[in-house]
Amino acid sequence: MGYYDLDDILADSSKFACRFNYELPGLGYLEGNPGKPVGKHSKVELPLWLASVLATVTGEQEHVDEEALPFVEFLPPEMFSARVVNAIKADAPTLDVHSINGHFYALGTRWAALFSDAGLAGMLAGMVLERALEVQRHAASAAVEATAPTDATARMLQTLDEWERQLYRRAHAASRDAKLWAARR
Amino acid sequence: MALPRNLQDTFSLQEVQFLVENEPIKIMPRITTKPIRRKAASTPSAGSSVRWKLITTDDHNVNNMVAMSSTEVSLWLALLLKQQGKCSIVAPAWLTIKQLDSFIEFELQNTSRFANLPWNWLIIAHLLFQKAADDFRDPVHILRAKIQDLREARLGKIAKGLQHLNESHLQLDNLSLSEINEMRPFAVGVMDKLRDIHAAAADREQYANNI
Repeated sequence: MGYYDLDDILADSSKFACRFNYELPGLGYLEGNPGKPVGKHSKVELPLWLASVLATVTGEQEHVDEEALPFVEFLPPEMFSARVVNAIKADAPTLDVHSINGHFYALGTRWAALFSDAGLAGMLAGMVLERALEVQRHAASAAVEATAPTDATARMLQTLDEWERQLYRRAHAASRDAKLWAARR
Repeated sequence: MALPRNLQDTFSLQEVQFLVENEPIKIMPRITTKPIRRKAASTPSAGSSVRWKLITTDDHNVNNMVAMSSTEVSLWLALLLKQQGKCSIVAPAWLTIKQLDSFIEFELQNTSRFANLPWNWLIIAHLLFQKAADDFRDPVHILRAKIQDLREARLGKIAKGLQHLNESHLQLDNLSLSEINEMRPFAVGVMDKLRDIHAAAADREQYANNI
């Protein structure tokens, strides 16, 4: 993670569905009617970097006896729904993560941090390891002279998260260097 | 930094080779560089009149060589002398068919431990096979095959060992530098990610500070 990490920036700007807890004047452009207020309980898709701040900062108390609500509330996102979680538990290595979200791990980590969700984090950790081993198998078995990956590897690459792609690139470069060194001269 | 990432956080094999070439190795010189005492020098015998002097900053071993009595010099110098036909290299004791066989045996019998090879075995073996093939007592093609067997057995075990990666700790004893180097980008990448995830759930404030 770094200031200039493009994947980090992209992950941070992916949108999550949120619900506003207050009527806020002048923010209507967020839902497509500029100049109007954004209504209470209206559903808007906000980028994660914005939503995570709005969801933690609280507004004014409406009634004295009630707890102050944050400006927005996250709606349960599709990418951490029970359907996806079950698919991960069933067979993580063959799951097409890229079709769910290209920055699945980065978002999952942020989500787990936001809600202190140890269950999600544990699941992610197991998934990272299981899938990384698969990535390593492919990376280590690629031939040195090959200009393009084999069909099986190419299919696997399509299903990878962006972080896993980088991991593949680096693992592959390392094993290719070792093979080239052994075969030189 | 302008260095590509794979050179920033790991060695290239060329760099590892450079480190390994600084290790001492036993050679049998074919030349004499030891200064002859004045008395002997005044009556030079016809046979051993040819003497060499090597230009070096570290005089001790290099300029005290006597033909056919073994001495130790660093590997790169040994390879240079070998190339010019001025010495023959004494192969290390573990680089024999018998020893390699016992190593392979060990690798196959212990699924969770590695044989106690020198830290630079792969590089040394490759360099000696390439440049000093005629100095081995055993046939080189068999040694080469044994080294390859050994390497593959160990690679398989490394791949198995990676299943136990976690966010904080990884111990693989008796791996050589080049083998560690090869798995480093992968192992470090995965461990970094696991640490991120672990920290995210463990402590929210700490995580926010780490970003």
